[in-house]
Amino acid sequence: MTKANYITCGLLAGALVLGGCATSNGTSIYVPSAPAPGFDPPPARVEPEPAPAPQTSPSRPAVSPAEREPTPSPSYRDEGETLSGAAASLIRQADSLLAQGNVPAAIGQLERAQRISPRSPEVYFKLSEAYVAANNLGAAEQFTLKGLSLAGSNVRMQRTGWLLLADIRRARGNVAGANQAEARASSL
Amino acid sequence: MAKSAKSRKNSKKSASGKAPASRRSGLWGILGRLILVGLVILAGWMVYLDAVVTDRFEGRRFEVPSRVYARPLELYDGTSISAGALGRELELAGYRPGNGSSPGTYSRSGGRFIISTRGFTFSDGAEPKRRLALTVSGDRVTDFRVLIGPSSPIVRLEPAQIGGIYPAHKEDRILIQLSDLPPLFEDTLLAVEDRNFYQHFGVAPMSIARAMWVNLQAGRVVQGGSTLTQQLVKNFFLSREQTLVRKGNEALMSVLLEWHYDKQDILETYLNEVYLGQAGVRSIHGFGLASQFYFGEPLAELDLHQVALLVGMVKGPSYYDPRRHPERALERRNLVIDVLASNGSITEQEAMRAKARDLGVTSRPSFSENRYPAFIDLVRRHLARDYREEDLQSEGLRIFTTLNPAIQYASEFSVKQTLDRIDPGNGDGGLQSAMVVTSRDSGEVLALVGGRDPRFAGFNRALDASRPIGSLVKPFVYLAALAQPQRYTLITPLQDKSFALVFDNGQRWEPKNYDGLERGDVALHTALSRSYNLPTVRLGLDVGVDSVVDLLQDLGVSEAIPHYPSMLLGAVPMAPVTVAQVYQGLATSGFNTPLRTIRQVTDASGEPLSRYPLAVEQVLDPAATHLVQYAMQETMQEGTGRGAYRRISRDLALAGKTGTTDDGRDSWFAGFSGDLLAVTWVGRDDNGPTSLTGASGALPVWADFMASVPQHGLSPVIPDGVQYHWIDPQTGALTDEFCEGARLVPFIAGSEPTQTRNCGGTLQRQLRSWFEGLF
Repeated sequence: MTKANYITCGLLAGALVLGGCATSNGTSIYVPSAPAPGFDPPPARVEPEPAPAPQTSPSRPAVSPAEREPTPSPSYRDEGETLSGAAASLIRQADSLLAQGNVPAAIGQLERAQRISPRSPEVYFKLSEAYVAANNLGAAEQFTLKGLSLAGSNVRMQRTGWLLLADIRRARGNVAGANQAEARASSL
Repeated sequence: MAKSAKSRKNSKKSASGKAPASRRSGLWGILGRLILVGLVILAGWMVYLDAVVTDRFEGRRFEVPSRVYARPLELYDGTSISAGALGRELELAGYRPGNGSSPGTYSRSGGRFIISTRGFTFSDGAEPKRRLALTVSGDRVTDFRVLIGPSSPIVRLEPAQIGGIYPAHKEDRILIQLSDLPPLFEDTLLAVEDRNFYQHFGVAPMSIARAMWVNLQAGRVVQGGSTLTQQLVKNFFLSREQTLVRKGNEALMSVLLEWHYDKQDILETYLNEVYLGQAGVRSIHGFGLASQFYFGEPLAELDLHQVALLVGMVKGPSYYDPRRHPERALERRNLVIDVLASNGSITEQEAMRAKARDLGVTSRPSFSENRYPAFIDLVRRHLARDYREEDLQSEGLRIFTTLNPAIQYASEFSVKQTLDRIDPGNGDGGLQSAMVVTSRDSGEVLALVGGRDPRFAGFNRALDASRPIGSLVKPFVYLAALAQPQRYTLITPLQDKSFALVFDNGQRWEPKNYDGLERGDVALHTALSRSYNLPTVRLGLDVGVDSVVDLLQDLGVSEAIPHYPSMLLGAVPMAPVTVAQVYQGLATSGFNTPLRTIRQVTDASGEPLSRYPLAVEQVLDPAATHLVQYAMQETMQEGTGRGAYRRISRDLALAGKTGTTDDGRDSWFAGFSGDLLAVTWVGRDDNGPTSLTGASGALPVWADFMASVPQHGLSPVIPDGVQYHWIDPQTGALTDEFCEGARLVPFIAGSEPTQTRNCGGTLQRQLRSWFEGLF
C-alpha cells in the first residue's frame, strides 16, 4: 500500500490534483506565500537521508488517477521528518557543549534545532539526553515520548526512543515501565 | 528660618539706643557676627550639598529600562521567509540599505541579499560579525554562505528591539563606557562644550564672569558659562529653572563633585545623563541611546559627521532636532566640524568631506515602543510572575521574546484587511477582532493582535475578551469519545435528531442544528467536520460532560468551566489566548505545550537570569488525537472550514474548527498547519449580535493569514496503535481501495470494522497495476 500510494502521489502531484502529497525529501510539503513562479523552482534540498514520502489517502479512486476528480483527503505520514542540515549542525554544537558540561547552553542550542526541525524525532531524543544530564528526568521522559510520537514506522528511531525511555524510567525507579519500554525495543 | 530669627534678635538689640562710637563698633560687631553666622550656615549648607552630591554619585546607578527583543532571525539554507519579509526584518533590526559591506548594512538585488551583521552576544554563545550572502527563492533561503567571518551553516541576526519597560519618569538610556566612544568623540565634545575640562576644578571663573557680564547687560540670563561638570550637576541634582541661588548651588556642587571624583568618572556619567531628545513621553538620555535613536547604530560605529551632529545637539536637542529641523541641525553640525578643523583635531579635507555628508539620520526612530502593544502586554504579564516591576524599570534587563515580526505583520494585515472588508468604514459597524498565532510544536507565541488597530494600547481582546467559544469545544467532545475505541470510531453512526433535556428546576433545553435540519444517522467524523450540534450533544452526554471538562483542564484551562450540558456546544467563555493553549494539545499529538512569550531574561551584561525552556507533557491519548485531527482536516476540505481554500493553496494541508455563538455574537476560528497554530475571533465589544458565523467572520481572517505566510502543511505521523483502512461509507464495512466512494479512515487497532464489502473494482486494479508497471 505504501508503494502504491507513493506512486499515486507522484502521478497526482504532477497533475496538481491532490493536496497532501509531498516530495520525497523527508519533510512535509512546503507552501510559499505566493504562487511559486514556474521559472524559479526552489532547488532540491540535500537531505542526510531520503525518508519515505508522507502518505495520503486518496478517496473514491473509481477511475484511473490521471482522470480523477480533485478529491482532497486528510494527510498523514508514516514517520517523522528528517533533520535539516542546520538543525544537525546545532545538535553537533550541543553535543560538544554537553561534553563540556555546559548543559544550559546545550539546551539553548537544541531548542534552536527544535524550532528548525520540530517534526524530527532526533531533536527530542537529544533534548531528552540533555535533560538527563541536567538530572531532570521528568522532562527527559516527556521529551522521549514526544520523540517517539514522531518516530512512526522508523525502526531505528523507535529503538533509540524505547531504549532511552527504558533507561530514564529505570533511573526514576519505574521498573515495570522500564521493562515495558525495553520489551518494545526488542520486539522491533 | 534660623537666619531670620537671628536678624530679628539683632535688630532689636541695635534699636536699644547707645552712643555713636559704641554704635560704630557695634555695627562692625553685628556685621562680624552676621558674617560668622553666614559662614556657619554656608558650611552647614556645603556639608548638606556634599552629602547630596556624594550620596547620589556614589550610589550612581542609572535607572536603565529593560529592553524587549523580538526573536532573532535564524538564517540557513531552508529558512522560511519571503524576500519582502526579510527586508522588513532587517529594517526592524536597524539595518540600512547600503553596500552590505559595513556592519549593519545590506544590499539587495531581487532575491539576492548581502548582509553585514554587527554581531551579538547571546547568553548561549556569541554571533561574531559576519558578511553573509543568500538568495530568497520560493520563500526560502538558498545558497546561504558566510563570505567574511567564521563559517557556519546557520547564523542568528541581532534581535530587533520591540519595546522597553520604563520607569515612571520615562527616562530611557543605553549605558555606555568611555571605551565605547568612537574616535574623536571626546575631542569634539570638549571642544564644543568645555575646552578646559581637564584643567578646571568644576567651575571656570573666567567663563562665568564673561557670562555674568553679558547677563547683567541684558538684564536676564542669556548665556551660561557652564562646564560639563556644572551641566551634569544641573541635570543630576537640580531643577531646570535659571535663578541665582540655583546657579550658586550648581557651582558649589560642581566643585564638590570635582573634589571627590576624577575627571573620567564625571565624563562617563555626563555621557549617560545628558538629555538628547524626546520620543513621545519617553525622554532620550545619554549618547548611547541617542546614537540608536537618531542613526539606528551603536555609538562606537558612528562616523565623524554623526559625532558632530550629536555633540552639536547638546545645546538644544529640540531646537536642533535633525528630524524636525534638518536645516538648523545641518548648520549646527557643520559649525561643530569647523571648530574641530580650526583647533587642528581634523584636517581641512576631513572637515570638507564630513560637511559634504548628509545628516545620516534614520527617517523613523529605530523602534517605537507602541509597535506591538498587545504582545508586550502579554510579555509583561508573564514577567510579572518572576520579576518586580521596579527591577524591570531600572535594572536594564534584556528580555528575549518569541515575537516573530513577519508573522506579526501578516496577522495584523489579515485582521485589518478582512475587517475592513466585512465591516467597512473604519469599524463603524463596531466589529472588533483578535488573533493569536503560536508555533505548533514549541508553544511559542509568535504574534498577537489585540484589536483592529494594532497600535492601540488599550483593551487587549486577545487576552481579556473572554467569550463563549461555541463549536470550538466540539473537538474535545469527540476526543473524549474516541478515547474509548471499544465504543466509538470515526465511522460510528450518531443520531442527528432533536431532543429535549429537562433539568431538575423544570428548565428545558432543546438544542438545534445551525441550519435547523435533522439528518437521521450521520457518521461521527461527518458530525464533527460539519459541526452538527445534535449528534455532538448526544455524544457528549453519553461520554459525560465531566470527561470533556477534564480534558480542557488537562490542556491548561485554569478558569472554572461550567459543568452544564450547554458547555458541549461551547457555553464556556475563554480568551483567544486560552483557546490557543487548549488547541496546542490537539495540534501536536496530545502534548500539552505551555504557551511562552519569553525565551530568556538576562541582566544588562548578558548573564542569564531566567530561562523559560520548551516543555512538553503528554496529556491526551495520541491515537484518539490523531483521529480528531483527521476529522479536523476533513472540516477544512469538505466541512465548515472549506471556504479557507478559496484563499489558500490546496497544497497546504490544514486542520481547523469554526465556532459561532448565538446570534453571531462571536465568530471564532482555530486551526493549524504543520508549523503554525492560529486562533481568530471576530465580534463586538458590547457583545451585540452580528450577521457573522465562524465561517464568514473569523475564518476569512484566518485564511488570509495562512495564505500569506510560507509554511509546511500538516501531515501528522501515525501514532502507535493506529491503522488506516478503506471503508465503504454506506455500510461502514471494510472495502477495497478501488471501490466507488471508498474512504481511507484511521482506526485505533482493534476498533476497525470486521465485515467486508467487495465491489467489482477489477478493471481499476488492472489499470493501477499497469501504471505501477511503468515505474
